[in-house]
Amino acid sequence: MGRILLVLRLVAADVRRHPAQAAMMLMTITAATAALSLGMSLRGTTDTLYRQTRAATAGPDVVALTPGGDKAATSALRSLTRAPEVTAHSGPHRQYYTTVTAHGLTSAAVAQGAGAAPGPVDRPLVTSGTWVRPGGVVVERGFAAALRVRVGDRVTVAGRSLPVTGIAVGAGHPVYPGAQMMGPGGGPSDYSGLVWMSEADTGPLAAAGLPVTSLLYLDLRDPAAAQEFVESRRQFGDEHQTNFFTWQFMAEDDARILRQGQPVLVIGSWLLALLAVGGVATLAAGRAAKQTRRVGLLKAVGATPGLIAAVLLGEYLTLALIADALGLAIARLAAPGLANPTASLLTAAAGPSDDTVAATTCVALAMAVLTTLGPTRRALRTETVSALADTARRPGHRPWLNGLSALLPTPLLLALRLIARRPGRAVLHAWSIAVMMIGATALLMARVQTDFDYGLGSSHLGNVQREQGHNVLLAVTAALAALAAVNIVTITWTTALEARPVMAIARTLGATPGQITAGLSAAQLLPTVPGAVLGVPLGLFLVLSLSPQNTVVPPTWWLFIPVLVAPLATAALTAVPARLAARRSVARTLSVETG
Amino acid sequence: MNEFGAVLQARGLAKEHGQGQGLVRAVDEVDLDVPAGQMLAVTGPSGCGKSTLLHLLGGLERPSRGEVRLAGRRIDALSERALARLRRRSVGFVFQAFHLVEELSARENVELPVLLAGRSPRAAKKRAAMLLERVGLADRARHLPWELSGGQRQRVAIARAMANEPAVLLADEPTGNLDTAATLDVLRLFEGLRAAGQTLVIVTHDERVAATADRVVSMRDGAFVDDTRLAGHATGGLGEMFGLEY
Repeated sequence: MGRILLVLRLVAADVRRHPAQAAMMLMTITAATAALSLGMSLRGTTDTLYRQTRAATAGPDVVALTPGGDKAATSALRSLTRAPEVTAHSGPHRQYYTTVTAHGLTSAAVAQGAGAAPGPVDRPLVTSGTWVRPGGVVVERGFAAALRVRVGDRVTVAGRSLPVTGIAVGAGHPVYPGAQMMGPGGGPSDYSGLVWMSEADTGPLAAAGLPVTSLLYLDLRDPAAAQEFVESRRQFGDEHQTNFFTWQFMAEDDARILRQGQPVLVIGSWLLALLAVGGVATLAAGRAAKQTRRVGLLKAVGATPGLIAAVLLGEYLTLALIADALGLAIARLAAPGLANPTASLLTAAAGPSDDTVAATTCVALAMAVLTTLGPTRRALRTETVSALADTARRPGHRPWLNGLSALLPTPLLLALRLIARRPGRAVLHAWSIAVMMIGATALLMARVQTDFDYGLGSSHLGNVQREQGHNVLLAVTAALAALAAVNIVTITWTTALEARPVMAIARTLGATPGQITAGLSAAQLLPTVPGAVLGVPLGLFLVLSLSPQNTVVPPTWWLFIPVLVAPLATAALTAVPARLAARRSVARTLSVETG
Repeated sequence: MNEFGAVLQARGLAKEHGQGQGLVRAVDEVDLDVPAGQMLAVTGPSGCGKSTLLHLLGGLERPSRGEVRLAGRRIDALSERALARLRRRSVGFVFQAFHLVEELSARENVELPVLLAGRSPRAAKKRAAMLLERVGLADRARHLPWELSGGQRQRVAIARAMANEPAVLLADEPTGNLDTAATLDVLRLFEGLRAAGQTLVIVTHDERVAATADRVVSMRDGAFVDDTRLAGHATGGLGEMFGLEY
């Protein structure tokens, strides 16, 4: 117990001594675990939200639709209610194929006749306003959001202006824009929204001769056997072309909106994890010298290798676990909004599954272990006296690079020699840039794909699936850019800290502060170029390998934009830390080194 | 150089740290003239301000008050950039802790200031080879600093300091980390430099090292308390002084 307490105290002391580094590590791992958790749980979240909405609105187990609104069609549907598996039903209702216009936006829609009091099956939940009444219309929430209408606004249904009396959520139709389920005359369905109107108000729609479909909501004795019920009805044949939708099908269909966003999140999370590994590895390497001295001190006072390893790894593992918890919490908060972009489902909290928690925890711990195991092992293997003297890890001698740099102007000479000190860090830096470029390329690719919208003659009613995919891609790319920026600043600062004595010596030998600043910046710029050049084709390859064959590739000059922007951004990001490092007093630096 | 032939000159030079009760006068109103070719030793106990004085004279730190002139040019008000250029050409530093660049070989360390001065790699190589030969380390040119003894490292540092033929060489406790034999080697080098007309300012707390100088200035609490010109310095007697054969 005493040993554990000692380890915890040492870990806590170390975190207190390096709060900025701890915060940086928390941020990088949190971003990766949040994205991974979101990516893994999105599908499940949509399913959970559908189930919650279904429970709150007495959603049907099966929806049966038959073309036409005449007696023959309704009789055919009514015959279904006599099946032994059916325990309750609502309808038949008629849904008319029309258009709805609001605020200058026009969209295809189905207008469903509804009673003043909904039946026992499918009782849409009114989220604002009231349920249907004559002379008013209730708009499905996802559709209302797309049209930007509120209660009290007026909408035009089939040329007739009506006030919006309410906004509601139901589970009897797939989410916006999939409300139609079946096209006119039993044909293929098209994207459209859903409105409810009183039976009296649907009269003019019928009089106008609009296409109509009858639909019936059914509850079964065994909801899980909905598909078996549908199969059994199909066996008998049906001259009325009755079509069935099970609740499982609708739940599955609702998730289609995430088809673009989900893979972006999963792949994005892996890219974020790779960036996080780079960032944490830089932090760990930057602290290696201090850690080695600390190991020397602990060894000198009699600490065992096991205790020292526990102290060194403990901090990173603890931070990784905290970051994992933070990432999961963020994912839990963000998932409902992300899984329900159309607002057609009730938005309730949906926690990540056990599998997701296990996966993110493994990834977080792996990031911490992978990046700290090397420095920890090195520190443990270093002899106590060497560790105390901090002579454990000398920079390597690279005569060819020194010779090459001698031919270059002073800033590049200094930059190459800085890279030669820690070439692994330059590789990490290039990798960070390459990963960032993959995200930027994916974003460019998304921009040039041909889009189609749901509106009729309106360019404002966008494709929700594509929009959601774009938004997720934008968020992932922004996260990649943020982490890459953090990595660049960390690497620059770590390099500057480690190179302080060398830069101070260079200053005593006549290097100007400007040359030192330029050298530190150039040491980061040089790996940026290959990273950017490599990242763009990698991004293209990744996107094309995951996209359909007709995916459009942007013009070549577009792809040069990120390659040009990356060095400029790196120069801007490194300017401040490099300048700060170059301004440090030479005398003080050398005195510290001596002392 | 001024009319008295002083290559290095300080007037009312002061360096203060902190303020109020915590004010520390590291260097307190010092006046100094170092003629060309003179070997000056600055002695005194630890913390008396010797190293700070050296940093002020070399433009590594800025004084709180007073002025410093190097070869007649006032340097205390120069920009960092101008100071860097001045150090490049006119000042050579030697430190107690050597401060060689660890990942560079002895030759590359000596080449570095020549390259920083904008000379060609070939010229730098030639100059480094000549200087390493002069300090007796031609056969150690490819060795990294940690492969050299303390005395050898300091000789490399002296070669590096002389790379651009500076007007003045400033040495801060150059023998502080060395054993007697290595100290003797370093002093022999300084002796050779003085013989060649090099101006040297050496900060040391070792009386034996100070005794090899032309002039010894003693410091206490940031101020000069004694200024002695040695009529017959220890030339030729270094070995005896350090208990070693010369």
